Amino acid sequence: MIEIEHLTKRYGKKTAVDDLTFAVKPGVVTGFLGPNGAGKSTTMRAIVGLDAPTAGLARVNGKHYSEFRSPLTEVGALLEAKSVHAGRSAYKHLLALARTHGIPTRRVHEVIDLVGLHEVAGKRVGGFSLGMGQRLGIAVALLGDPAVLILDEPVNGLDPDGVKWIRLLLKGLAAEGRTVFLSSHLMSELAQTAEHLIVIGQGRLLADTTVDDFVSGNGKSRVRVVSPDAARLAEHLAGPGITIASPERGVLDVSGTEAAVVGQTAAAHGLVLHELRTDRGSLEDAFMQLTADAVEYRQTTEGVK
Amino acid sequence: MTAAAMTERPAYSPPQQYRLTFVGELRSEWTKLWSLRSTWIVLLCAVVFSGGLGALISANVPDEAAVGGADMALGYAMAGVSLSSVFVAVLGILSITGEYTTGSIRSTLSAAPKRLGMLWSKALVFGAVVAVLFTVMVFATFFMSQALLSGTEIGDVSLGDEGVLRAMFGYVAMIVYLALLAIAIGAILRNSAGSIGFYVGVIMILPQLATLLPWEWVSDAVPYAPGNVPNTIALVDTSGSTLTLGESWLWMGIWLVVAYGLAAVLLKRRDV
Repeated sequence: MIEIEHLTKRYGKKTAVDDLTFAVKPGVVTGFLGPNGAGKSTTMRAIVGLDAPTAGLARVNGKHYSEFRSPLTEVGALLEAKSVHAGRSAYKHLLALARTHGIPTRRVHEVIDLVGLHEVAGKRVGGFSLGMGQRLGIAVALLGDPAVLILDEPVNGLDPDGVKWIRLLLKGLAAEGRTVFLSSHLMSELAQTAEHLIVIGQGRLLADTTVDDFVSGNGKSRVRVVSPDAARLAEHLAGPGITIASPERGVLDVSGTEAAVVGQTAAAHGLVLHELRTDRGSLEDAFMQLTADAVEYRQTTEGVK
Repeated sequence: MTAAAMTERPAYSPPQQYRLTFVGELRSEWTKLWSLRSTWIVLLCAVVFSGGLGALISANVPDEAAVGGADMALGYAMAGVSLSSVFVAVLGILSITGEYTTGSIRSTLSAAPKRLGMLWSKALVFGAVVAVLFTVMVFATFFMSQALLSGTEIGDVSLGDEGVLRAMFGYVAMIVYLALLAIAIGAILRNSAGSIGFYVGVIMILPQLATLLPWEWVSDAVPYAPGNVPNTIALVDTSGSTLTLGESWLWMGIWLVVAYGLAAVLLKRRDV
């Protein structure tokens, strides 16, 4: 369980996190979603005590992180890839961390094998690819076999195999009753991994909900109809709150109603349907809609002639 | 996932047998120190330089300069040892600024979130390594130098002569003191180039340049500069120096307390 209470973090005049309150529960993977600069990393750094909050609290299982007698078994964190000295080997980096807690070398070898770095464990980290650096960061997070995992953009730089692997790994860890909290700006990735979602923008909480509710609540869903009688069907469907577009002849995109209503309307008037389906909005759409006002770095096309 | 299904899952209990301990932090710093190639290279440089320069100078002392007693003998022998303090200081600085420049400090302080244990264990481990290495180097250089100077007026200095052994350990203590001071500077400035620049400029060079200034108070203050206070403890005959032996030790202590006090407060307060 991670509890964030009225967390505020200012760097000089800039407010990175603004009165943020939410909780991350054990047993499910919770996604942490927000545009670049939304305050995701700052929040995660505050949880493990690397950044001191300007106001508010970040607690893990009821305690401030620095109060734990054995921090590595309580929280495993991947904050930025390559939080490693470039001149040190992956094995020695893990060994040095393990020694602080008296974790045996057997466990170091275990996590190296688990993340698939066996072949390169003795090589200096400076030569690692981004993906290998991520795998090492995940090995560090898992070293203490912790109850809480905090992972900032863990799939960054991983190849498709690696992405699939970490997705299964995180779901498995959550199923063991651990708290798994991962941030991403890859919304589709979170949709496949997380069950719960915390969405922030400009340091403020925008949504604290399940992935399913988030998509159906924020995404625009519409009904796609293909019919030789499209024009007549459109006449019968028209009404307040309903918008109908026809992207091509014989095709209607109806929003503001449901597929069942469209089907009944067609049947009532004896109209033939070739296709009737609901297009759920993607998580991407939902996310874009929710954060439309909260994007810090908005690209502009002005001046691009 | 319903709330009921979530609560049905048994809570995960992490391993109970592991503890963050100070001994663990010491072992961690030991592992970190020796797992970098730069440690081996810089310490090898320090060994070659202190032994080599001591031998080179001792072998080439003109007969008319080979006078003046044990302090002259030690001065020739330990010329390289004194200059090797720069290697040691740079390594000390890099042991902590390297963590900040590479980002490994985030891993280190995530494992030890109370933070201060990292500073103390780094200083203890590096101080101990430097003490052992330079005890060996000081004695090896002394005997080598005496062999090269034998037959001259300063070629028959014995470890049993009054103050000689104390002065030799004084050299070791001076190097350890400078190494510890360097770590604290690195912890305060957190930047490799800035810390090395500060050490060379303010600790090593500034006190020497300051003696050229015309004001008397500057000359009075110079012996108390952090880089100068250990000078007395490395002398066989301390009667000519401004600071007494006791004052020399006291001021080394004062500067270390000041430097580590500031480093500790900043380490606790600053974001990583």
